[in-house]
Amino acid sequence: MKLLRTLILRPLRRDLLRTLLTLLAVALGVAVVVATDLAGAAATGSFRSSVETLVGSTDLRIMANGGVDESWIGRLTSLPIDAHFSPVIEAEAFLPGIGSTTLYGLDFVANAPSSTTGAAPETGAESDNAVVVSRALARRLHLAAGAALTAVLNSRRRQFHVVQIVDAKSAEFLALDIAAAQRALNRYGTLDRIDVTIAPGEDFARAERAIRGILPPSYLLEKPGARSEENQRMLRAFRWNLRILSYISLVVGAFLIYNAISVSVVRRRAEIGVLRALGAGRGAVFGLFLFEALLLGAIGAILGVGLGRLLAGGTVNLIAGTVNALYTTSRPAPVSLSFAEICTGILAGAAVAFAAAFAPAREALRVAPTAAMSRGAHEHQARLRWRKALAGSVILAGLALAASQAVPLGGKPVGGYVAALLAVGAAALAAPALILAVNRVTRQLLNRRVETLLAGRSMAVSLARTSVVVGALATAIAMMASVGIMVGSFRQTVLLWLNVQLRADLYVRPAGRSSVGEYPDLPSEVTGILRSTPGVAAVDDFRALEFHYRGERATFGASDMEIVRRFGRLRFLPGEDRDAILRLLPGSDRAIVSEPFANHFGVHAGDRLMLPIGGKNVTLAIAGIYYDYSSSQGYVMVDRSTLLRYLPGQPATSAAVYLEPGADANRVRRAIQLRTAAYAVAVAPNQQLRHDAIVIFDRTFAITWALEAVAIIVAMLGAANSLLALVLDRRRELGLLRYLGASSSQIRGTILTEAGFLGLVASLLGLALGFALSLLLIFVVNKQSFGWTIQFYPPRELLFGALLLVWCVTVLAGLYPARIAARLNPIDVIHEE
Amino acid sequence: MPASRLELRGVSKTYTNGQPIPVLHDISLALEPGTVTALLGRSGCGKTTLLNLAGAMDFPTTGEVLIDGRSTSSLAESELTALRRRRVGFVFQFFQLLPTLTVLENVELPLLLSGARNTLSAARDRLAWVGLEEKATVMPYQLSGGQMQRVAVARALVHSPDILIADEPTGNLDTASSEPILALLRQAAARFGATVLMATHSAEAAAIAGTRVHLRDGRIQSIERA
Repeated sequence: MKLLRTLILRPLRRDLLRTLLTLLAVALGVAVVVATDLAGAAATGSFRSSVETLVGSTDLRIMANGGVDESWIGRLTSLPIDAHFSPVIEAEAFLPGIGSTTLYGLDFVANAPSSTTGAAPETGAESDNAVVVSRALARRLHLAAGAALTAVLNSRRRQFHVVQIVDAKSAEFLALDIAAAQRALNRYGTLDRIDVTIAPGEDFARAERAIRGILPPSYLLEKPGARSEENQRMLRAFRWNLRILSYISLVVGAFLIYNAISVSVVRRRAEIGVLRALGAGRGAVFGLFLFEALLLGAIGAILGVGLGRLLAGGTVNLIAGTVNALYTTSRPAPVSLSFAEICTGILAGAAVAFAAAFAPAREALRVAPTAAMSRGAHEHQARLRWRKALAGSVILAGLALAASQAVPLGGKPVGGYVAALLAVGAAALAAPALILAVNRVTRQLLNRRVETLLAGRSMAVSLARTSVVVGALATAIAMMASVGIMVGSFRQTVLLWLNVQLRADLYVRPAGRSSVGEYPDLPSEVTGILRSTPGVAAVDDFRALEFHYRGERATFGASDMEIVRRFGRLRFLPGEDRDAILRLLPGSDRAIVSEPFANHFGVHAGDRLMLPIGGKNVTLAIAGIYYDYSSSQGYVMVDRSTLLRYLPGQPATSAAVYLEPGADANRVRRAIQLRTAAYAVAVAPNQQLRHDAIVIFDRTFAITWALEAVAIIVAMLGAANSLLALVLDRRRELGLLRYLGASSSQIRGTILTEAGFLGLVASLLGLALGFALSLLLIFVVNKQSFGWTIQFYPPRELLFGALLLVWCVTVLAGLYPARIAARLNPIDVIHEE
Repeated sequence: MPASRLELRGVSKTYTNGQPIPVLHDISLALEPGTVTALLGRSGCGKTTLLNLAGAMDFPTTGEVLIDGRSTSSLAESELTALRRRRVGFVFQFFQLLPTLTVLENVELPLLLSGARNTLSAARDRLAWVGLEEKATVMPYQLSGGQMQRVAVARALVHSPDILIADEPTGNLDTASSEPILALLRQAAARFGATVLMATHSAEAAAIAGTRVHLRDGRIQSIERA
């Protein structure tokens, strides 16, 4: 205990600032991990509340791509089982000035639906303009029973009156009687699903077999939780990648713990030597330093968990924005921190600290009782090891290359992650060689001024320590650069793709922002109006509907492929003839699929897809695979005639309008707006759609940048911490310089030059590692997670600017240590021995 | 009467660490160019404090330290730095070579700090003078203790200072290694005209001094002239 106090606790207290910087770095690392996880859970978990609250005691669900024929209710009811069947329509209502919300159509006449917490809607709820509102939505809109409510359903503005407010926890929705919903949404005869409640005492398996037995094979019969599980599956890649990004800060924190313990060991070599001479065992010394790391890790992690909980509040909206834009409707749920999560956070911090401290603690173990080596000799040994480290770096780089070729494991790019980790290790091991190389190359330049000579030499000679700092900074810079290159490349790819994809002059769709997977109908009158508007050359009626394929969701779309062929510029994978493929589609059971769909489900051109559509299983031949960046879930596209053959009467959900040559787009747009004034439709010019797409793209990656920024801050803290350690460790040398005639500005200049040199080497290494990691992100992680091909377009200006900023901040991080160095009392430090 | 090169006039020094700790009392000494003066006395008698005052690294609480008649206490920070760069050289008991620089660079360092030109040839000359020219490119930890102290002497004299302050220059060396160091200090005074002020416990070291100042409890007990 006494040993612990003198060798570990007292120095930690003495170097309080350094101790606090290390704790802060670990705390930030853990905080980012905790915040990302909590916010991710809150943002993606919240859709469960909106779906499941309403489902109540439903045991099974019957669903079909393209809708369930309502006649099945009658047939199911006649089964000899004790079960209740409730028809459900689930759509989206647009509330002007407020936004979109879920609209349910439920059978208010036959029974009080279980989904509305058992409260029977009041008399009159089945009338066409009666609406039931969830308490959460009513509270937000300040509605009470009897109030009036305006909503847009299927592009038509409707007046309702609120007949009842129902409790449904935090879920927000409107509910109409099923018949009223069918009329309002123009869905006569079809339902979105049938909810099945099996009576207590009924044999569940028998009932399930009976239901399955009479349903067409294309109908899905699943448990209510299946949709949540499907959402979770869909979001798994997104959350995994976010989680991996959040670990960067923790990795950078690990470097700092390594550095802190290394400094502890180096500075206490003499004390360790004395202790060993006095009989202290190797195990005791080893244990002491590991304890120091655990202490720093655990305290840092405890602070980090608290900080993470605070950060999660701010992060949840960023993540929810992405989830809403790309995946599914979600209102952020409250962030909750469980005891298990607290323990996991603390354990993660402590474990990372323990692992990072292992090597330096082993170094302490090797101190012989008689040898309290001088810094010069110790560092010289470290210098001799650079070749070994470089060889290790080459081996790790080779292993990283091999790991990057691995196939995904359980849909996750595990090989890519392992390769990234190995690449970080390779870079860290290459740091000593790079420092020596840069030092050698710049020696002539450095030797010109005494500050640069001293700084350059100190960097090279204090190799053991400086290479750890360079490793930590380089990792953070590399992550920033790689994500910058990946996002920049992705953005450029999407921009180019938008130029190709969005060829129509105007796009018409129902008003209001609809959620992913929700495709409100465009009234058939509108498409007629579009065709008859002067200046319009062609109108492509596009129908999108969400469908389920192998337990996952994707979009089934239908276009007029002849118009797409003549006016569009759809790009197919190399080697595929666009014109020939598009000519094949009209009137045939052929489809084209998007690249993410093909990659996700492992299908190729020429393969056959069996899709359950309506009451049938339809086999479609894949005629080609086209590039698409609008959805990672993927598209299956057919000609409109093919869709109508299997699902007659499907209206369009949007329309692409191509103008005649020379037609004035603004004039035609105004004409369309005037002619469709009676319908709630939005007419957007081409540029606006492109702009909207890029806005969504940028919003999606906001969280990524936020995570990167924290990693950089952690690295900066590390740089300040390490420079401070270098200053304290060399205080006698710095004092000596004052004796030899150095001015305080020369001392300051030396430390700032070291900071600048450190930043330069870290930037070089970070940039090289960043390029390697960006290739992994683009061609392995993204490809395997989301299935799209991103062209490699490094954003040079952005990278240069970011690197310059990081370099400047590194130099700034040297200001405080430089001030400490300049203020050292030479008499005190020179006579410390 | 012309001013002595280094003069301590009624110098007292008191440190304050919660309570005042007097270290030196009313010291007066005048040291001339080309002389070697040894400070003798037990550990803690104030030898190192007196050296720091004489080298303008510290300032007296009362009294004056004069270099060529100018009080060090009246000098601005930049003037003090210039003074240390041009006129004072230090040799320490534990050599204090920079482990990050080669032997030659260590010798060259004071010239580099003062922004002098042609630093390399001057450093080589001094290194040759201490007999270690062939060790120019090695690192300090590769030298023996005696060699390290010879490098330290070369460094202290590379800029031809008027005053050479040596704190126990042989305190960490055996007799065989001490002799060449003492010879170098003697030469520094005789050949370069430096005023050498040395603190020592060693009788051999004291023997090279023309003046031996015995200190006891921060006061001059006696002054012995050869």
